[in-house]
Amino acid sequence: MSADVPTAPRGGRARPPWPRALAWLGGRSLARDLRTLTLYGVTMWAVVTLVFLLPRLMPGDPLSALDDPDSGTFIYDDHARAKVAAYYGLDQPLIAQYADYLSDLAHGDLGWSISQSAPVSRLIASRLPWTLLLMGSAVIISSLISFALGVTAGWRRGGRLDRALIVGSSAARAVPEYAMASLLLVLFAVLVPIFPLAGAMTPFARYASPFAAAGDVLRHLALPLAALSLGLLGNKFLLVRNSVIGTLGEDYMLLARAKGLPPRMLKFHHSGRNILLPFITVLGVQLGFAAGGSLFVEAVFAYPGMGTLVNGAVVARDYPLLQGTFLVLALVVLLANLLVELAYGAVDPRVYR
Amino acid sequence: MSQTVNGSAALAIRDLVVTYPGPPPVRALDGVSLHVAAGECLGILGESGSGKSTMCRALLGLVPEASVAGSMRIGGRELSGLDEAGWREVRWSRIALALQSTASLNPVLSVGSQVAEPLRVHMGLGEREADRRVAGLLVDVGLGEWAAQRYPHQLSGGQRRLVLLAMALACEPDVVVLDEPTAGLDAATRNGVLDLLGRIRAERRVSLLVMSHDADALEVLADRVAVLYRGWLAEMGPARDVLDDPRSPYSWALLNARPTLASVKDLRGIRGNPPDLTVVATGCPFLERCHQAREAVCAGGRPALAPPLGETGTRVVACARGGVVPLLSARSLRKVYTSGGPFHRQRTTAVDDVDLDVREGEVVGLVGSTGAGKSTLGMLLVRLADPDGGTVTFDGTDLMAARRGQLKALRAQIQMLFQDPFEALSNRLTVREVVREPLDIQEIGDASSREAAVRRLLVECRLPADDAFVSRHTHELSGGQLQRVALARALILEPKLLVADEAVSMLDPSEQAKMLQLLKHLQVQRGMAMLFISHDLSVVLRIADRVLVLDGGRVVEEGSGGALLVAPRHAVTRSLLAASGRDVLFGRGGREDPGPTPNVVDLEAYRSLGTHEDKSHEDESQGGGWT
Repeated sequence: MSADVPTAPRGGRARPPWPRALAWLGGRSLARDLRTLTLYGVTMWAVVTLVFLLPRLMPGDPLSALDDPDSGTFIYDDHARAKVAAYYGLDQPLIAQYADYLSDLAHGDLGWSISQSAPVSRLIASRLPWTLLLMGSAVIISSLISFALGVTAGWRRGGRLDRALIVGSSAARAVPEYAMASLLLVLFAVLVPIFPLAGAMTPFARYASPFAAAGDVLRHLALPLAALSLGLLGNKFLLVRNSVIGTLGEDYMLLARAKGLPPRMLKFHHSGRNILLPFITVLGVQLGFAAGGSLFVEAVFAYPGMGTLVNGAVVARDYPLLQGTFLVLALVVLLANLLVELAYGAVDPRVYR
Repeated sequence: MSQTVNGSAALAIRDLVVTYPGPPPVRALDGVSLHVAAGECLGILGESGSGKSTMCRALLGLVPEASVAGSMRIGGRELSGLDEAGWREVRWSRIALALQSTASLNPVLSVGSQVAEPLRVHMGLGEREADRRVAGLLVDVGLGEWAAQRYPHQLSGGQRRLVLLAMALACEPDVVVLDEPTAGLDAATRNGVLDLLGRIRAERRVSLLVMSHDADALEVLADRVAVLYRGWLAEMGPARDVLDDPRSPYSWALLNARPTLASVKDLRGIRGNPPDLTVVATGCPFLERCHQAREAVCAGGRPALAPPLGETGTRVVACARGGVVPLLSARSLRKVYTSGGPFHRQRTTAVDDVDLDVREGEVVGLVGSTGAGKSTLGMLLVRLADPDGGTVTFDGTDLMAARRGQLKALRAQIQMLFQDPFEALSNRLTVREVVREPLDIQEIGDASSREAAVRRLLVECRLPADDAFVSRHTHELSGGQLQRVALARALILEPKLLVADEAVSMLDPSEQAKMLQLLKHLQVQRGMAMLFISHDLSVVLRIADRVLVLDGGRVVEEGSGGALLVAPRHAVTRSLLAASGRDVLFGRGGREDPGPTPNVVDLEAYRSLGTHEDKSHEDESQGGGWT
C-alpha cells in the first residue's frame, strides 16, 4: 500500500487527511480524536459549572452572610441589602446568574477581587506564568530523571544502585512537599546561602542582558523546583523500574539481546519504549498533584505564582479570587491531561488500531 | 563423528552441558556433541523439555544465569567463555536466531526498524542503506516492502514468522538457528515457510540448525536429523534414515507415536513420564522408559554414539544395546505337513521360507486368509511345533537348539493367547488356578506372593480381583471376561513377547474394542513385543506397528498399516483390504491402477458397507455363541 509512498509518517499506512499537527499527536483516527476532545469539552463545562455552584451551595460565604439575620454582617437596611444583592446579581434566578457567569467567562471576566481590588483575571494573568514555569519544569525534570534512573535501576535489579534508589525514592515520596521545601530552604538559602531565600526575581534589579535575567530567574527557581521535583520523582521512578523488570523476561528482549545490540539500545529503545505508555498515564495523574504541590512550595518560597495568590485569597476569604484561581488551575490540569491522552497514540502504535 | 575434525564445519558443538542453577539445579543439556557443515541443514528433533530452546539460547550466549561447559565453535572460533562484549560481536553477524514466539517482535517498534537494527549495529550501515536492505530482505522472504512500515500487531502470525526470518538473515550469518519454525502455523502457511527455508538455504549457502518436534517438517527440510532427549542425543544421521527407520529405542518410540494421515492404528505415547531434569542420569538417560532396557547393560554408563548393530553408514545411535534390536528373528522358516497313506502321500507346505523379525516393544501384525499358514507360523515361532528348516532366534538364543531347561526359561519370556479361551483353559480350574499356574510351573515366589501377583494381574486386565471372582470356575465367565483371564495368565510371567493368535476374533464388537485397547495399553506399559495374528485386516491395522501379509505360507507384503492401506502392492493384500471395505472408501488404489483415485465417496456403497459390517459382526457373535 504505502510502498509507493516511502515518506509516509512512521507507522502511518497512508497520509492522514486532517492537519499534520493532529497527526503528529498520534491522531490516526479523526473520529477518536474528536471523541476525546468532546469528552474533555464536557469535563471542562462540568468544572466551570461546579465552580459556579459550589459557593452558592456552601454555607458561610460572605454574600449570604449579608443576607442572613443571624450573621454579624447582616444588612438591616432593606434597601441597601437589595442594592447589594442586585449588584452581585443575587436577586436574579439561579439560571440567569449562571448565564451571566458564562457570558462573563466568555469575555475573560472572572470577577473582581475583594481583597486586592483588582480584576481576578488580571491577577491570575500575572501569576499563572510563574506557576506554569515551576510546575512544567518540575514535571519535565522529574520525568527525565525518574525515567533514566528507573531504567538503570531496573536493568541492574537487586544491585547496590537499585537498592539505594528504592530507599531514596521512597523517602522522597514520604516527605511532603512543604517539608522538603522548608528543608531545602534552610539548607541552601540559610545555612549555605547559595540560592536566594524568596521570590522569583531579585527585586528592583536591572539586567544587562536577557541572559542575565534568565539566570536570575533560574537561580530563584532552583530550590522550589528541586522541592517539587523530588516529590514527583518517587512514584515515577518505582513505576519505571518495575515496568523495566517486567519487560526483561519478554521474548522481544531476548531477541534484541540475541541481535547483539548494545546495552544502551536494549535499555532505552527496546525496554524503554514499551514502558512509555504506563509512564505517561502516571504522568497525567501526577499533573493534579503537581498543581497541588506547587501551591505549598510557592507558599514556602514566597514564589509569586498561583499558590501565593490562592493562599492570600483563602486568608482574606476572597471568594471571587478563589473561584477564579480554582477554575484556571483545573483547566490547566485538564488541558495537560488532554495533551497526554493525545500523546498516547504517538507513543504506542497499538492504541489506535 | 569424524566430520568434527573436518575444518569445513560451520558449527561444531562438543560435550555441551548447560545447567540452570537450583535448587535443585536443572541440567537442560547433558553433553551434546554435533556439527553442521557449511550450507547444511541439521534438524534437532525433540519433545518439549528436551533441551531444544536451551540449545538455541546457549549457542548465542543467552543463558547468563546458567553454567555452560563444553565447546561451541563457529568457523573454528571458540565461543564458550566469551564475555558479553565478545558475544555481542558474534551474535547476528556469525550466528542468528529465529525464535518460535511471534511475541519476540517488539510491539512498539515498526517491523522495518527492527530488521534494520542489526544492519546498523553490526554492519555500520546508514539509515537509507539499511532501509534499502530491509526492503530487499522483506521481499526475499515473500512479504514486500510495505511490511517495513507496519507494526507487529498489524501482521498475521505467519507474516511475523517471515519477518523474524528476514531479521535472522539480515547480516548474512554463517549459521541460522530456527526454533520451531513451523509450530502453530496452518498447513498452507507451514508449507510456505518450509519452501522458503529450502530456497533460502539453496540461494545463500547458510547453515541451518532447525529445532522442531515436527518430524514431517524435518523430513522436508533437513539433510541430517539428530534426536534430542533429556538434553542428550539419542540418534543422529541422514534425515531419511533416522525418520523412516529410527534405530534408537527412543526415536523409534517417538516416531512410532506420530500420527500420519494414514494412521489407522491406535496411537500411544512413550510409556512413563517425561524425564526429571533435576536428576542427572548415570546410565542411559532413556533407561526408565525404554522398552528394551536391560539393567545390566544399560545402567552401567552413558552410551556413546556409534553406528547401530548391522549398519556401517553415517547414522549413529547412543544405545548400549546397539539400537533397536530384534527380539524374535526367524530365517528361512519352513514347515511341510504330510498327509495320506504311504502310497498317495500329499505334502502341504504350510510355511514356506519365511523371514520375520519382531523388534522389542513392537507390535507385528500377521494377516492372511484361512489356510495361509498364520497359525502354523505362530506355533513355529514359539517352538510349539518344530520346523522342517530354518532358524528362530529369541533374544539372542537359538530357539531350535535350546535344551529342555533352557526352553522352559525361554517359554517364560514368550506367552500365547489363543482364539477360544474355553478351549485353551481347563474348565475344571478356578480363575485363581488358571492365572497362577505359570508361576507354579516356573516355581516363582511363595504362595502369598503368587496370590498377590494373581490379584494384581486381574486388576491390570480390568477384571474384578475379589475372593468371589478368583474362586469362580472358568465356565462361569463370559467369553470376553475369560479371554481377559487368559491374558492375565499370559502376562503373569512378565513375558517379553506375546503371541496373540486370533485373540479377539470371537468377541462381539464392543468386547473386541475393549480387548484391543487393553492389549495395546498393556503392551506399551510393559514394553513388551507382540505378534498379533488375525484374518481380519481392519483389526490388525488398529493395533500393529508393522503388518506382514501371509499367503500360501509366504510373506507376500510387508509394511506399516498406513502404507498397506494407502498403497497395497500385492493382490492378496488388496483382496484382504477389499474384504474390509477399503475400495468403497478409497477407490481401487495401488500400483496397477494408473488413473487418479476418485475422491468422491460412493455414499450408496458406503452405507451398504456399514450394514454389511454390522451383519458380519452379528454373524461372528452368533457363531461364537457367547454373550
